Amino acid sequence: MSKLQDPIKDGLARGWKVMGGPFAPPPEQITCDVAIIGSGAGAGISAELLTKAGLKVVIIEEGPLKSSSDFNQKESEAYPQLYQESAARKTEDKAINILQGRCVGGSTTVNWTSSFRTPAPTLKFWQDKFGLKDYNVDALSPYFEQAERRLSIGPWLTPPNENNDLLRRGAAKLGIPAQAIARNVKGCWNLGSCGMGCPTNAKQSMLVTTIPAALDQGAQLLVETRAERFELANGRITALLCSFGVSNTAVAQQIHVRSATKIVASHYVLAAGAINSPAVLLRSGAPDPYGRLGERTFLHPVVMSSAVFEQKVEAWQGAPQTIYTDHFLETQAIDGPIGYKLEAPPLHPVIFASTVPGMGQSQHDLLKAFPHNHTLLALMRDGFHEQSPGGRVKLRSDGSPVLDYPLNDYLMDGARRAMLSMMEIQFAAGATKVLPLHEMAQTYTTWGQAREAVNALPMKPLLTKVVSAHVMGGCGMAGLENQGVTRPDGMHWQIENLSIHDGSLFPTSIGANPQLSVYGVVNLLAQGLVKRLTRTEVKLA
Amino acid sequence: MQRRTLIKLGVVSAALVAVVGGTAAFIKPGLERGSLTPAGREIFRAIGSAILNKSLPDQPAARQAAVTELISRIDTLISALPEHARAELSQLLSILATGAGRRALAGLSATWPDASVPELQAALQGMRLSSFAVRQQAYAALHEITASAYFSEPGTWGLLGYPGPLVI
Repeated sequence: MSKLQDPIKDGLARGWKVMGGPFAPPPEQITCDVAIIGSGAGAGISAELLTKAGLKVVIIEEGPLKSSSDFNQKESEAYPQLYQESAARKTEDKAINILQGRCVGGSTTVNWTSSFRTPAPTLKFWQDKFGLKDYNVDALSPYFEQAERRLSIGPWLTPPNENNDLLRRGAAKLGIPAQAIARNVKGCWNLGSCGMGCPTNAKQSMLVTTIPAALDQGAQLLVETRAERFELANGRITALLCSFGVSNTAVAQQIHVRSATKIVASHYVLAAGAINSPAVLLRSGAPDPYGRLGERTFLHPVVMSSAVFEQKVEAWQGAPQTIYTDHFLETQAIDGPIGYKLEAPPLHPVIFASTVPGMGQSQHDLLKAFPHNHTLLALMRDGFHEQSPGGRVKLRSDGSPVLDYPLNDYLMDGARRAMLSMMEIQFAAGATKVLPLHEMAQTYTTWGQAREAVNALPMKPLLTKVVSAHVMGGCGMAGLENQGVTRPDGMHWQIENLSIHDGSLFPTSIGANPQLSVYGVVNLLAQGLVKRLTRTEVKLA
Repeated sequence: MQRRTLIKLGVVSAALVAVVGGTAAFIKPGLERGSLTPAGREIFRAIGSAILNKSLPDQPAARQAAVTELISRIDTLISALPEHARAELSQLLSILATGAGRRALAGLSATWPDASVPELQAALQGMRLSSFAVRQQAYAALHEITASAYFSEPGTWGLLGYPGPLVI
């Protein structure tokens, strides 16, 4: 347990209005100006701007309020407490494991701090194909600058850890350019445990920046309270129905009687993240005249290659993901064969052991080589080709969402090319053994052997290990009503007092870790919303 | 009702339900009140010993103790799963606990406690590379739960050469 100053405990002591979970239960009805569903990247930015303008804001978060005194860098506590479905959320056919936050701060509390502005080719595609003419580099630039200032996003000047330096060195040997990743940190201790919640409050997540700012301005935060559905009448939301006493586990649900609270607001901001935002609308029976809701949900499907080096790598320590290469995004057209971004993820025992394939001796050898293990991941840029329409969010009979995301041949062709690229880089960096994460792969000791083997592997879902930490789309923005769920100004096309302010807005994947895209785009949208609601102007920084 | 639930659950294919359908009304759940039932524990003891074979202690008493700890960690892991995932897992285990289900889904003729490690590993390998998605999904779930649970506690980190987090 961290013994450092805890800004959340301090805020609570100052009198922040927090209800739900271990705090006082929310009343039966709450009235406010704006209700924000979620407390992650989009919700946090919106909450700070709306409260700055003097609006009475209520933030509704399904997960718990945890802070640096709780973050003890232990996966067995972090995953159940801070992640959707205990970090084991899966697509409908179980072929993709999805990491998403479920706590105050959302995924920003547990992400690996990688910060990229939305790439220009992605914005160009949105302008050309989705009528988002104002989404261009120049127009968005001031909104990104403010977000970067507010969240201390900048170059990471500490040398990369060995895990990341191997990517840099391997790529350099092959003449592949690799660059440094900007991070949203202030006084980072270089621990490497970002994924379990920052124990030193260095990561400038929503948990320690915008949410505290909103609470200091008088916003009310409901935790462990789930937005179940909107009540709709005449094209407007008349109320939001929430339940509390909601724990991650059904056992707890049996103990606590679930209770309801009704939130009546003039305006609603849905920022529950992709998958969950469309799910709230699906549960509400929201109008969807063109069948767009929940469709075009993207994942940056990730494939991985694991390698063993002579020297120690200790991929658990040091800032995660500080080096990347976009070489394989740039070698073909954005709407051609799928491109991919390469990064080096951090490894801790549970995440590592659950990805080491097989059993018995071969598994044991890989487990024992943990300190020498270096894994690369490839984020595939989905959503830019007609054969990459993404997935569809559906509801189970209990109302919980599930994403149906078929891994078709177009994507699996990218998976094979990505595995080949990663293995070649790992051998170039001096790997003694390389194992692409596929149930039929072996450990290979030369690049020639690995290339031949991977070219012959059946690239099928479930055989190929595929994961995702970037869920985007499902409430896509478009300039024409029949192309999307949301207008270019963030307003729902059919519901007049609803804005959608999160990654579910994106009409394609981003082609880069999406947190800064959410901050920048929502900063633009929330400033517009403030202007419409109050006729005043506010800025993030 | 139970039969209807079975058909709805994603992890269970229609073909498999047909195989064990006759006994479906009588089979026991794999989980009760969020914990493994004796039948569920028996399956995970066998599967845990097979998957983690070389990583468990050699000495029989220490090995038994390690497997018992694994089961307790699996219970902890399961208690944090959402209801839909738990329902699927319970269903999977209850099918594996029947003779017909064990043979059809795992391809294992010996009972769980009687099967040798090589027999269990061969059965798991068959599921892993099966052309039936339901068998692959079952393997993936059992493998992930076993490996994640076992290495979730500091006592097992020595094998991994992981020093644990820095004290802040």
